[in-house]
Amino acid sequence: MSVSPLQFQRPEHLTQLSSLPPLSLYVHIPWCLRKCPYCDFNSHVLPQGSEAEKLALETRYIDSLITDVELALPSIWGRRISSIFFGGGTPSLLSPAALDRLLLALQARLKINPDAEITLEANPGTFEAERFRAYRASGINRLSIGIQSFDPEKLQRLGRVHDGEQARRALEIAGQHFDNFNVDLMYALPAQTLPQAVADIETALSFGPTHLSAYHLTLEPNTLFAAQPPAELPNDELSADMQQAIEQRLAQAGFEHYETSAFCLPHHPSRHNLNYWTFGDYLGIGAGAHSKLSFHDKIVRQMRVKQPQAYLEAIAAGQPLQTDHVIAADDLAFEFMMNALRLNHGFAKSLFHERIGLSISAILYELDAAQQRGLLTHTAQDIIPTQQGRRFLNDLLAIFLPD
Amino acid sequence: MNLIRNFSIIAHIDHGKSTLADRFIQYCGGLSEREMNSQVLDSMDIEKERGITIKAQTAALQYRARDGQTYALNLIDTPGHVDFSYEVSRSLSACEGALLVVDASQGVEAQTVANCYTAIELGVEVVPVLNKIDLPAAEPERVSQEIEDIIGIEATDAVRASAKSGIGIEDILEEIVKKIPPPQGKPDAPLKALIIDSWFDNYVGVVMLVRVVDGSLKPKDKIKFMATGAEHLCEQVGVFTPKSLPRPALHAGEVGFVIAGIKELKSAKVGDTITLATQPATEALPGFKEVQSQVFAGLYPVESHDYEALRDALEKLQLNDASLRFEPEVSQALGFGFRCGFLGLLHLEIVQERLEREFDMDLITTAPTVVYEVLLKDGELIEVENPSRLPDPGKIEEIREPIITSTILVPQDYVGAVMTLCNQKRGVQRNMQYMGRQVMLTYDMPMNEVVMDFFDKLKSTSRGYASLDYEFKEFQTADLVKLDILVNSERVDALSLIVHRASSQYRGRELAAKMRELIPRQMFDIAVQAAIGSHIIARETIKALRKNVLAKCYGGDITRKKKLLEKQKAGKKRMKQVGNVEIPQAAFLAILQVSDK
Repeated sequence: MSVSPLQFQRPEHLTQLSSLPPLSLYVHIPWCLRKCPYCDFNSHVLPQGSEAEKLALETRYIDSLITDVELALPSIWGRRISSIFFGGGTPSLLSPAALDRLLLALQARLKINPDAEITLEANPGTFEAERFRAYRASGINRLSIGIQSFDPEKLQRLGRVHDGEQARRALEIAGQHFDNFNVDLMYALPAQTLPQAVADIETALSFGPTHLSAYHLTLEPNTLFAAQPPAELPNDELSADMQQAIEQRLAQAGFEHYETSAFCLPHHPSRHNLNYWTFGDYLGIGAGAHSKLSFHDKIVRQMRVKQPQAYLEAIAAGQPLQTDHVIAADDLAFEFMMNALRLNHGFAKSLFHERIGLSISAILYELDAAQQRGLLTHTAQDIIPTQQGRRFLNDLLAIFLPD
Repeated sequence: MNLIRNFSIIAHIDHGKSTLADRFIQYCGGLSEREMNSQVLDSMDIEKERGITIKAQTAALQYRARDGQTYALNLIDTPGHVDFSYEVSRSLSACEGALLVVDASQGVEAQTVANCYTAIELGVEVVPVLNKIDLPAAEPERVSQEIEDIIGIEATDAVRASAKSGIGIEDILEEIVKKIPPPQGKPDAPLKALIIDSWFDNYVGVVMLVRVVDGSLKPKDKIKFMATGAEHLCEQVGVFTPKSLPRPALHAGEVGFVIAGIKELKSAKVGDTITLATQPATEALPGFKEVQSQVFAGLYPVESHDYEALRDALEKLQLNDASLRFEPEVSQALGFGFRCGFLGLLHLEIVQERLEREFDMDLITTAPTVVYEVLLKDGELIEVENPSRLPDPGKIEEIREPIITSTILVPQDYVGAVMTLCNQKRGVQRNMQYMGRQVMLTYDMPMNEVVMDFFDKLKSTSRGYASLDYEFKEFQTADLVKLDILVNSERVDALSLIVHRASSQYRGRELAAKMRELIPRQMFDIAVQAAIGSHIIARETIKALRKNVLAKCYGGDITRKKKLLEKQKAGKKRMKQVGNVEIPQAAFLAILQVSDK
């Protein structure tokens, strides 16, 4: 009788999950009217062409997304979808009709929880705002609007297509149709002063969002800003002061600071994003979309073909994956921490085992080291980053980085 | 023996020595055109890159002279830098003559003078050659006069040549034949061969470069080292052309190599005399002075687990570089490492570079220092080569620092600037002599000041024209103190320095300021202090970073963001953790970047 070679592997080297985590769906729409100089996402300028050509491209892309989800079904068989996020690129470039068709197709093929959060990322252009109502009617129940700033001069330096007036108008319309919407803002912008940074927050609050993300402008590698950094960027001191002022102002307004850059009114966190940060599963469809999927004996990461045109061809060929790998046991703890420690309240110790199948005692040494340096505290149930740990999250995470 | 000429070339860096040597080899057909890789005698990568010669090399040439006879010319190449002057005297002692090559546009330089004097002292015939004669700026008359003024040898008839363009090469070879005497020696006496140099070859073991003075040597001879008494079987003899070329025997007057299956370099000590075990010579040849380390520095692996690898690397380097000294040392700040002794700063740099390049070591080098004599109150005299080992001031009667006599040759235009520099470095003028357009300055200077950055400064104040030579003079009592650097109140032993009291305040302030620049901001404030004893003389604060966190991390970001964090961590690993502070490698050499007031 032959013996399976698996029996010779030490059990701790095998991932063993007793239950699978919640599953989200991410849908990537890769086109933008133009590429912002700070953006490192997989976005591409919408090809020039006639209206008919644009429509044909949109139709083909939606068809491909539907095929994509069908191809992926075996890897998520029987699992419920707890949230959907349309991201990009600029998903609000999708016509309401196309989005409606896509949502219907997804509902027909997936078990989507009735109370699932369904978010769409939108640009605050006039053109897009007019579509908000239709999006709501199609079943989108949350908007995330990429305002970045209300200051026309800053918007220009960020290379944004909209202006301050359009931004206000878009939020006004969003408020009319959505009771749940997020505003994305950036601070530490070129030549920005502390009052200007706070003024942007103030303006955003006046439109009654339930959620606000305030990102420190980061010069990401492989972006125009990384190659040609903008002039007059605020120094460390000033940008840290801005962060502090923003946190204070949002706390006053009753917002809870629950993740590095995310703030929400009580009970309104982004459930989709929370699923990332609690190391849940996600299926990503569309060009360059990333998935993280758990099975009882392994956790895999996948990425679909990145270039939109190549993606369309890959789908036609029935092979949309560009990369597909099992997360090594050594990396699991780090990747878990990289997400979960972003949460201001940290995480329950039991979650660690639930998500990656390892005992928390596997990282006891690192936890103690982090605690000694004042970067986190661990109680019987929870692991919580300290304020210092949140500010120096990279230093905290480095402790868990395998050598 | 009358047809043998052993000679070397004395020249300043860049005056064209290696090019000239290449020409000789080409003229006499030592190598084919294809093998004439640029500057064939400089074989180490570093030698080629820096354009300097570190190890002596030789070439045996066959020259058919105008008198119709074919002469065996043995060229023994010599290093040109002050750090390696001991190698020069070794090479010269194997020769009867030396070509003094002087750049006809630049004139005589200090190093050349020193080597020339060495040659004259050793009784070697010096034959002047004016090189680069085809340059528009060449002034052969003036330079001939300068040679006569400064060195004191007849130079009016000096051959005018250009190694680069091939002018006058044959004339030089004729001069060698005519002016340099043939070697003296007794071909039939018992063997006496002087080891001029030795090095380790991975395939054949130790290779010895020897000058046979008396007798002859052939394979299968049982040889004996007169200093150690050790006996070995001679396996192969030959000459370098500069390719190695086996010969049936080496005879009196000849220079060549000997291979005898020796595994350790220390068994074949440079300066020792080889004789035959069966028919030994009664008396050894006068050998060479032991080389003394002049400059010391700590070398530490960045990663403490590389300590053994560093030891291996140093041992391997030592196989070919007997002047490199090292012994284990422990630093509180840097952990386990080695205190190494070098001939000079260039030697240090070369060793450091070879360790990094050839052995892939990641190193922290501490500031170079000299050796001090410390007289204790109880009358004991100790040597201190590591500032952190300086005894408690209460126990010290006096500290004596090494003083060198330095000879500087500099064009008149820059004399003022160079004198100011020497004064800054606590130099005491001993002599000043005008020689044509150049001035020869003689200063007594603390060596400590010279090892820091004197050479670089000298070059920059004189636009590269000043040249320097020095020799150790004596130990002299001086008012010296130990300057400590404290990082977050913790004394970092690897940063301690011995400085003169008069400049201690200034140096302390500057060093603390420099450290503030070099140590990156971290999670907390870092205090950098300079102290003399318990007295704090300077303080700088490195303000804490406000944050270090990635603004965004969503599903698709994991892999990219993880790479970013890995990069951050790798950057930190290249730093040394002292207490809870991460100090970059460069900070340990910060003192070299501190300017003078």
